[in-house]
Amino acid sequence: MNILEAKNVKKNFGGVVALSGASLTCREGRITGLLGANGSGKSTLSKIIAGVYAPDAGEITYLGKKIHYKNPHEAKQQGIGMVYQNLSLVPELTVWQNIVLGDEKNTGYFLDDESARERSADIVHKLLPNIDIEKKVFELTPGEMQVVEITKAVSRKPKLLILDEPTAALEKAQVTSLFKLMKELASSGVAIIFTSHRLWEVVEICHDLTIFRNGQNVGSMDFDKDEKDVKKIIFYITGSQSETGIAKTCIEACGETRLSIENLSLGTMLRNISFDLKQGEILGVGGLAGQGQQELMLALAGNFAKIACDAKIDGKPIKLTRPSNAIRNGIVLVPGDRETEGLFSKHSVFSNLILPKIGIEKKSFIVPYRKLKKECEQIANILALKAASLDVPVSTLSGGNQQKVVIGKWLGLETKVLLLSDPAKGIDIGAKADLYSYIVNQVRSTGMSVILYASDTKELIEYCDRLLIMYEGSIVATLDTEEITEENIIRASMRVEEK
Amino acid sequence: MKTEKRTLRDFTSKPEFSSLLILLMMFALTAILQKNFFEIKSIMRNVNAFAPLILVTMGQAVVIISGGIDLSSGTALSLLTCVLTSIMRKNDPMTGLYGIIIAFVVALLIGLINGFGIGYLRIPPVISTFATSFIWLGIALFLRPTPGGESVSWFGVFYNFDTLKDASGFFGTLSGFLPPSLLLIIIGCILWYVLSKTKTGRYIYAVGGNSESAYESGINTAKTQIVACMINSIFIFLAALFFVGQTGSGDARMGDPLTLRSIAAAVVGGIALSGGRGNVYFALVGALILSFVNKIIFFANIPYAYQTLVGGAIVIVAIAGSQAYISYSTKTKEIKIG
Repeated sequence: MNILEAKNVKKNFGGVVALSGASLTCREGRITGLLGANGSGKSTLSKIIAGVYAPDAGEITYLGKKIHYKNPHEAKQQGIGMVYQNLSLVPELTVWQNIVLGDEKNTGYFLDDESARERSADIVHKLLPNIDIEKKVFELTPGEMQVVEITKAVSRKPKLLILDEPTAALEKAQVTSLFKLMKELASSGVAIIFTSHRLWEVVEICHDLTIFRNGQNVGSMDFDKDEKDVKKIIFYITGSQSETGIAKTCIEACGETRLSIENLSLGTMLRNISFDLKQGEILGVGGLAGQGQQELMLALAGNFAKIACDAKIDGKPIKLTRPSNAIRNGIVLVPGDRETEGLFSKHSVFSNLILPKIGIEKKSFIVPYRKLKKECEQIANILALKAASLDVPVSTLSGGNQQKVVIGKWLGLETKVLLLSDPAKGIDIGAKADLYSYIVNQVRSTGMSVILYASDTKELIEYCDRLLIMYEGSIVATLDTEEITEENIIRASMRVEEK
Repeated sequence: MKTEKRTLRDFTSKPEFSSLLILLMMFALTAILQKNFFEIKSIMRNVNAFAPLILVTMGQAVVIISGGIDLSSGTALSLLTCVLTSIMRKNDPMTGLYGIIIAFVVALLIGLINGFGIGYLRIPPVISTFATSFIWLGIALFLRPTPGGESVSWFGVFYNFDTLKDASGFFGTLSGFLPPSLLLIIIGCILWYVLSKTKTGRYIYAVGGNSESAYESGINTAKTQIVACMINSIFIFLAALFFVGQTGSGDARMGDPLTLRSIAAAVVGGIALSGGRGNVYFALVGALILSFVNKIIFFANIPYAYQTLVGGAIVIVAIAGSQAYISYSTKTKEIKIG
C-alpha cells in the first residue's frame, strides 16, 4: 500500500527554485532513501510533507487522501513524524520529560510520570542502552540529543517517519542501533523516509532509493529488483560523467608558502587540519554542507580563543586566538552570513567601509573623516559598487553589492590571505561573475592568496587551483588542478572509497 | 529500566543548595543578634513580617520560570488592597465576603492582562509589566487617593487569630502560636504543588526553557504564560488579604518596595532570570534570606544612613554568589561544542 505519494511538487523561496517538479512514493513497511547533493531539494520535499512549508504546486496524497497542512502539528496528528536538527528539546527538562513533551498522559487530573518514564525508557534504551533518563538534556552530547529527538518522534507511533540526516551526529554503535530500530518499525508497517549523505548507509538500510538533482528526482531504484550499483548512483547525483566545459580560469600557483597550518584542532568541530597555502594561490575547501568548512574559515580568521594550532604566515609564527591578531597579520574574512556577520545593516555604506581602518590603524585620535570619505569613493569605484550614495544604509543594497562592501572594507589594508566563506551565496549570476573576476584580478596583480569555501561545486571547479575536501571536521582529500572534477568531488565528499 | 542513583553530589551542585547554606548562615546570625529570637511571640512576629515578601516572591518565581517577569507585582498588590477597602463597609460583615470575591476576580484579571501582553501580544515582559504597573497604580489612586478605606471587623483574622476569639475559644488558643500568615503561605504552597503535578505546570518549565521547542511540541505557549501570570496574581491576592487584615486600610503605594525585592529574592533562591529553571519553594528560601538580611542590619545597629547601602550590597553578593555557583556547576557538566 502506498502510504505517501508526492507528484510534481514545486517550491520557490523568493525567486530561488528549490523544487521544480519532484515526485516520491513511499510504501508501507519500506525504508525509502533520499539522496542528492547540497540544495538538490530532498530536505525541502521532506519539510513540505511534514507540514513545515506549503508547496507552490503539486499534489501530495497521504493514506489515500490529498493533504494540505498549514503547520507541522496537523501533520503530526495525522501520523507523520519528522526528525531534523534538534528543534524541539527543552534543555532544562530531563530526557524522559522531553520525550513525552506535548504528549503527556494523565492519571485523573495529574501527570502520569510513572508510565511516561516507562514509555521513554522502552524506546530510548534500544538506541542508547546506558542513558540515564533523569539527566537533563543540556548535559547530553549532540549525538545523545539527536537520539532523544528520534525517540520523541518514534514514541508518537507515526505511520510515516521522516528522518532527515539523523546519523550526522551519531557514532557507529548508535547508527547500528538506529538501523535495528528502523528495521523493527518497518516490519511493523511504518513507512520511513531516510536521508543521509553517507552513501554506504543509504545503500545498507534502504529498500528503495530516490535520487534528487536540481529540485527534481532524476532516478529511483528498488533494491528488491535492482542491484546496488554505486557508480550508477553517483551518475544520477552528478548528472554527468564528464566535464560540461566550464572554463577554468585559474593561474599557476606561484611562489613561496604564504600560510602554513599544522594540527589545527578545535574540539570535535575541527580535527587535526594541516595544509599549506602558497602566494597567489586560490585554495578551495569543499565537501558536503556542514562538515566544518565554515568553522574552518572562522577559525583561520581568529574567532576561536580556545583553538590549538601551529600557524605561520610568510614564515612568521602567529596565534590565531583573536580576530585582531589575524587581521593585523593580513588574514581577513568575508563571512558566510553577510547580514549578521559581515555588516552593520543599519549603518551606512561609508560607515561599514571605514570601520576596520579606524580600528586597526591607530594613527590619529580624531577620525579623519574627509580623507576616509575620499578613500571610500575610490574603493566604490574599483568595486563598481551600485549604490545611491555612500550614506544610504547598507541594508538597502542588493546582495551582490552588499558583498562588495564586505570585501571593500578590507581594501586599503594589506591583505595577505583572503578567506571567503561562501561569498556568492544568494547572489545572481551577473554579480557573481563580477565578484569573482575582481578577486581573481587581485590575486594575479598583488599575489594575494585566497581560501575559498563555496557550497556550489561549480564555483570550486572554476576558480580553484587546489581543492581540499572536508568531512566531519577533517581534510579527507586534496585534489590538484587536473583532478578537480565534479565526479571526483562527489566521490571524495561522500566517502565512496570507505566501505 | 536503569536509572543511576541520585547522588549527594547531584544535590550539592545545584544552586538551591547554596541558597540553603546562605539561609542557615543568616538564620544563625539573626539568632545571635536578636536576643529573644526563639521566643514564640517573636517567631510569630517574624513570620508576619516576612510573609508578604514570601508570597509575592513565590508568585514572581512562577512568572520568571515561565519565561517572563512581573514589574507590576507591587502596584497590583496595592490595587488589591484598595479594591478590598473600597468594597468593604465597617458595619456590614457581609461586605467582607463580597470584597474577597471581587478582589479575587480583579486579581485574575490582572494576571490575564499581564499574560495576554506577554503571550499573545509578544511584548517583552519587562516592558509590558512596566506599563501595566502604571495602569494598576492609576486605578488604585482612583479608588484611594489617600490611604484609608474601610474594613470589616473580622478581616483581622488574616493577620491574627485573636480577632475571632470571641467567636470561639479555639481561635484564642491558636492566636497564641499560629500566625494566619503562615496558613496563607501554606495555601500558596499547596496551590503550586497541585499545579506542578499537572501538564500546565510542566509546560511552564518547557515554555520558559525554550519556547520554540515548546511550540514545536504542540504546546500552547501563550495560554501557558497566561496561566503563570494568573497564578502570580493569586499569590499577590493572598498577600493583599494579609495587609488589609493587618492595617485595615488600602494604600496605592504600599506595594512598591516589594516588586524589585521579590525579583532579587527569586534570584537568590536559585530561579534563573532566563526562565525554565528553578524551584518555587526555594524562592521562598530566597525571600527568607533577604528578610533575615534586613533583620541583621537592624540588629547590628548599623546607622540608618547606611542601612540601604549595606542591604543592597549583601543582596548583590548573594546573587553573584548564587550565579557563580550555577555557572561553576554547569560548566563542569557542559559538553563543549567547540
